[in-house]
Amino acid sequence: MAEHTIIGKSVRKVDGIELVTGKAKFTADMKFPGMLYGYELRAGVPAGIIESIDASEALKEPGVHMVLTAKDLLGPNLIGVLPPFDQPVLPDREIRYAGESIALVVADTREGAKRACRNIKAVITPIEPILTMEQALAEDARKIHPQGNVTFSRTLTKGNVEQGFAEADVVIEGSYTTTFQDHCYIEPEIACAVPSGDNRITLYVSCQSPFHIRGHVAANLNVPASKVKVVQAYTGGSFGGKDDAAVEIGILAGTAALKLGRPVTIAHEREESIAGTNVRHAAEIAYKTGARKDGTITARQVKVLLDGGAYASESPFVTMKAMIHASGPYAIDHIEVESTSVYTNKTYAGAFRGFGVPQVTFASESEIDELAKHLGIDPLELRRKNGLKAGDKTATSQVYDQSVGYLQTLDAVEPSLRETGTKENDGRYLYGTGIASVIQGISNGAEGVDVVGASVQMSQDASVLVGCGLAEMGQGSRTVFSQIAAEVLGIPVDWVTVRQVDTDAVHDSGPTVASRSTTVGGMAVKQAAETVRQSLVKMASLMFKTDESMIVLKEGFAVLTVDDTARIPLRDVATAAYWTGFPLMHLAFSQAEPADFDHDTHQGRVYIAYNFGTHLMHVKVDRYTGEVEVLKHVASHDVGKVVNPMAASGQVEGASLIGFALGHMEKVEYKDGIIQNPTFADYAFPSIRDRIPTETIFVEDPTPHGPYGAKGIGEPPVAAAAAAFANAVSQAVGHRFTHIPITREDIAAVLQEEV
Amino acid sequence: MVIHFTCNGKPVTVDVDGDMRVLDVLRDVLDLTGTKEGCGEGECGACTIILNGKTVNSCLLYAGKLQGAVVETIEGLSGDSAGLHPIQESFLEEGAVQCGFCTPGMVLSTKALLDRHPDPSIKEIETALSGNFCRCTGYGKIMKAVVSSAEKLRDSREDGHQSGTGLGVKRG
Ligand code: FES
Ligand code: FES
Repeated sequence: MAEHTIIGKSVRKVDGIELVTGKAKFTADMKFPGMLYGYELRAGVPAGIIESIDASEALKEPGVHMVLTAKDLLGPNLIGVLPPFDQPVLPDREIRYAGESIALVVADTREGAKRACRNIKAVITPIEPILTMEQALAEDARKIHPQGNVTFSRTLTKGNVEQGFAEADVVIEGSYTTTFQDHCYIEPEIACAVPSGDNRITLYVSCQSPFHIRGHVAANLNVPASKVKVVQAYTGGSFGGKDDAAVEIGILAGTAALKLGRPVTIAHEREESIAGTNVRHAAEIAYKTGARKDGTITARQVKVLLDGGAYASESPFVTMKAMIHASGPYAIDHIEVESTSVYTNKTYAGAFRGFGVPQVTFASESEIDELAKHLGIDPLELRRKNGLKAGDKTATSQVYDQSVGYLQTLDAVEPSLRETGTKENDGRYLYGTGIASVIQGISNGAEGVDVVGASVQMSQDASVLVGCGLAEMGQGSRTVFSQIAAEVLGIPVDWVTVRQVDTDAVHDSGPTVASRSTTVGGMAVKQAAETVRQSLVKMASLMFKTDESMIVLKEGFAVLTVDDTARIPLRDVATAAYWTGFPLMHLAFSQAEPADFDHDTHQGRVYIAYNFGTHLMHVKVDRYTGEVEVLKHVASHDVGKVVNPMAASGQVEGASLIGFALGHMEKVEYKDGIIQNPTFADYAFPSIRDRIPTETIFVEDPTPHGPYGAKGIGEPPVAAAAAAFANAVSQAVGHRFTHIPITREDIAAVLQEEV
Repeated sequence: MVIHFTCNGKPVTVDVDGDMRVLDVLRDVLDLTGTKEGCGEGECGACTIILNGKTVNSCLLYAGKLQGAVVETIEGLSGDSAGLHPIQESFLEEGAVQCGFCTPGMVLSTKALLDRHPDPSIKEIETALSGNFCRCTGYGKIMKAVVSSAEKLRDSREDGHQSGTGLGVKRG
């Protein structure tokens, strides 16, 4: 393969300077003349009927401009991800979770709007809330939505599990549960709507799917989509969370701005962010796994129940994703997974980094360790024996003939396992090492078409502007896109600028989800850059009076292959190309191979590629206090090709800490349907003291579907880290924990019992 | 009330309510929007500033406290033609910035620490930064950036000049 000059290098973050200097404009940093602030009044009861909302007192307060309730909205008052939509922007009658907004106050200041909220008289008749999945699924349960309390349910069937269990020498079963986790990006949700003189409206939003917002805002303002412009401001983290919430406040701010003819900002407070907007699904998962004595897994049967809270949001897709990934990165002939999401009267659950995979991975990998124990086989060997290889059939019977680097990730952690696995317990401290593997689909796959449009435009001075509809949320997509454009065009990275997403200026590229930026987005940028490159090479060949094959572009020059000193600066080439009429801009579309599968059995082609990974965690547990210290954490992932080692390992480290916290610390706690810990003071957010010593080892087994072979890495470490932690602690304590988070108190309680 | 204080080396005077949050004085009155709001309750550190040499959460502090004070914000660090401060340089070099929302606060907490302790231990760094939350990085690279900026600052004190390569590419 050709040597790359920029791909594979730890290029610094291209938008880093404005961030370290504080100059980057996040939404809250933008001010517009006459700007007003909105604040939402929330229901406060998990289920109820709105009898009346009287805002007359609030409206009398100085500085208050408007109070919006459901009847004031301009459109269908309906949002969601998959039709039929089920979520009102503001409910007109039924309240389905305590954090639900029921009115918006618009005032001169945020404090003023918040104060005025207290003077709104909302008469709500509470109804008995449905707070558990068991209650929701009971036969005579009240229906939270007209169609019932099952949000979405599907079954995957591969082979015949009955036959698989009949072939097994051992069959083990286990039940596992996980809790709600909040995204906790440091910048809470915010949107600012600015009406403009041309009868359009512009939204500056912290978000991850600008086109999704545009569509919903236009529909709910009852204007054509072309009247709405969404500009993604610098976004302080999203992790899946700034989609639905951004839609909701985008519509509210937009409605108020249209009605008042003034800019309106809605900025959530931390408490609203945790209690009012989506979280990671809690899950109840039952596994049954059969294997032969030699370790060959013959069958897995899984039942996944996901608590999706009050509205569907991304639940259907999370349900599918959990289903497809539940059997793990293993080649198993007989699989049956029934996956169901359920409505309850709690804050709705939606997309969150990992998207259903962390929950099932924790359960699946716990069960694999239990199986290893049963069979007396080393946990790593058991995984190796069953691990997917190129040519094997996945759970959906898809076969990849390359880029299945799972076994190499096991090899990568093996030395650490051998080194730490023998550590003896000493007096006060218990030691344990756990491994866990993950498989995570890249691209939208079963979740819909996957098309990204990207434009590459070279100016006469050879600087380049890249536009792509996928959002930079901190994950480094701008840097990756810059590297790709620079590599193709033979220019330094800092000649490339990647513009912010502005729905006026880039093509709808779908949501920035499913670890698809590098893979599908990167492919589009590469294709667009390659077309511009053709113009440059053609021009250079005319200037050198030689064949195109004799030209390379590098270091900002067109250079003769046979004589490295024969160089023409690319700005001269670009200028000449411009005057000759060779196009210097191109819009390319990259479309991931569409999914094609049976909708009953879910057998067929689903994702363009999978990321595979194995994590190892070595922990020390304090017998007296239950306190855990992670002494070693090795994270190995097959990413196809590392485009930027520093950025990629940053993704692994950040995702791993979120996974570790899911496994050990974080939970959204409910009492009677009300969240008890909606602040950073009460929510167990990991600080620098809780960091884990992540050591990343990349495996590169390239995929033909990503640029230079690259596959995404944003999500998979979450699942693997949570599961590896659970296995490590279970081993140290000598007790199988079947619920995450496994908190210090949980561990102490188990150790207490043993004494 | 009329408040006189020093902000990033320059004397400033503002006329605001004494109970306005310092965070709002900076962001809304002085247009210094590099100081961020992440929680408004003193828990996340996004609003960190340096007040009379010590870090404080500006969301918890009232304007009245600014009278006669010396304040440093992220805007004071960036300098102009002088380029980046070594701490900022290290944050970029080590990949300690992802979404960047926590970064101004992190950089200021680092600066306040290194001003006091040019050679801090890992424990001291943890203590100094434990009030600055980051959701993106997992903190490992932030820790490395603090250690390397401490080295840089010590070197520059010894050599009497500032380092910083300005290179865009670091060896992978
Ligand atoms: S905004 Fe001040 S500590 Fe979070
Ligand atoms: S870089 Fe995003 S919160 Fe720290």
